[in-house]
Amino acid sequence: MNTITHDTLAEMLRGAAAEIRENHEWLSRLDSVGGDGDHGTTMVRAMARMEEALASSVSGKIHTLLNDVGWAILGVDGGATGPLLGMFFVSMASAAEGLEELGAGNVAALFEAGLTGVRAQTKAQPGDKTLIDALVPAVEALRAAAEPGADILEALHLAAEAAEAGAKLTSTMQARFGRARNIKEQSIGTQDPGATSMSLLFRGFKKGLESHA
Amino acid sequence: MAMKKLINNPDNLAKELLEGFVLANSRKVALVRSDLVVRAKAKAQGKVALVTLGGSGHEPALSGFVGEGMLDISVPGEIFAAPGPPRVLEALRLAKRDAGILFIVLNHAGDVLSANVATGLAEKEGIKLRRVLTHEDMSGGPRGESDDRRGLSGCLPVIKVAGAAAEKGYSLEECATVAERMEAGMSTLAVAVSGATHPCTGDVIAEIPEGMMVVGMGQHGEAGGGTQPLKTADETAEIMLTALLDDIQAKPGEELFVMLNGVGSTTLMELYLVLRRVKQLLEARGITLARSLVGEFLTVQEMGGFQMCVGRLDAELKALWDAPCESPAWTAK
Repeated sequence: MNTITHDTLAEMLRGAAAEIRENHEWLSRLDSVGGDGDHGTTMVRAMARMEEALASSVSGKIHTLLNDVGWAILGVDGGATGPLLGMFFVSMASAAEGLEELGAGNVAALFEAGLTGVRAQTKAQPGDKTLIDALVPAVEALRAAAEPGADILEALHLAAEAAEAGAKLTSTMQARFGRARNIKEQSIGTQDPGATSMSLLFRGFKKGLESHA
Repeated sequence: MAMKKLINNPDNLAKELLEGFVLANSRKVALVRSDLVVRAKAKAQGKVALVTLGGSGHEPALSGFVGEGMLDISVPGEIFAAPGPPRVLEALRLAKRDAGILFIVLNHAGDVLSANVATGLAEKEGIKLRRVLTHEDMSGGPRGESDDRRGLSGCLPVIKVAGAAAEKGYSLEECATVAERMEAGMSTLAVAVSGATHPCTGDVIAEIPEGMMVVGMGQHGEAGGGTQPLKTADETAEIMLTALLDDIQAKPGEELFVMLNGVGSTTLMELYLVLRRVKQLLEARGITLARSLVGEFLTVQEMGGFQMCVGRLDAELKALWDAPCESPAWTAK
């Protein structure tokens, strides 16, 4: 698959929602170690908002779809999740203005814009045991795979693998950010819930695209 | 620890508690759009407005501080979760005025993120505002590293003096100066003696070992800080006050306020014992207990323990502290 359209993108987003819903109990369990144990619930709420936005966004434009999804997620009361994930999609939307379909290079550029949008909201750096540790390698993998004419499904597959590896690696890290920092070295041994949900989103994007292929 | 709470569908909890809260305080507060808490009688447009945001489940905070001489609008979130930026933006639009908005934000990741996104969008719309961050939890890290210190019950004295200043017609800059001076001179330390459960999930959000207490617990009982055998009220008062006075570097001859905030299941009886000892200890150091406040202001469900907040007062801050106010959680005539 060399290009994706508005409808394919919608399928990718639905795939992400399904993946989160399937794993939300795990996310909450991870969050109960250093946080208040509601990350899974919050993510499910965010995904429900996203699906509502997918259903009601009828412009057919990629930019509008991502913007509607982003604003819907911003509206979720859920600690850091709503603003970070919301700004992720809102920032992707601004990079998609005017695009009718996306090649592998566009996909990489969109996710890079999403990453920039997230990083504008948080001082967390790679290694701080946050969603950044899954998002950065995923975006890097997308960029590395984004040669002209590259297969987007393959690129997303690599991104999902990189995100998963990044999320797993957070279990070796000590939280230096967010609430989990309070438990210091006790945070080592459990992977970060935010990084984990980010890696699930990428796996869901890939599965969504697969189902459409 | 099994959860034992009188609730309905957990999904509707935040909404239902808000309805009840406003009914119980209908002479002081009202709802706008069913999810923003405003004063029953709006403040004059010429005066600075105060707005804050924060998760629910900490009643009476933060909506309990809405009222004359206090906040104009509070944006309550879901249980323990900050409200999203779109609702915060709506509140800022509602409060928009030439005099400006003092936007009081407690230092918690979600609150700060949501406030920052909303602030950026509001400023683009030409809304005049100044943000004041409260971050006085001394267990978060060394003084000066404001990112690490979270906002606990110390937001209440800040809201009180800034709210009084706004009511007296202070400019936005003057209100911010008063709020920041109050905040800079204060510190909070929490002690937990028993745990709590998350009302939506039933999960234990803090577990305190039998016979122990933990000094340095945050708002949701995040782990961290000093676990030690349960002490008497006098001993606990001394441990906490000593740490706090050291943190703000209080000197003989100074005037301080002390606020004891019960977090859920600790009785007023216990808090009065603590305050009694605080007064004795301050006297021994030649420090005046100029004002005190004891009660439940910012709670964490059924958690046992309290937050002790200590801060400097000067003549202006004392006058603002004493100024009349009428909110669900603090009324002064």
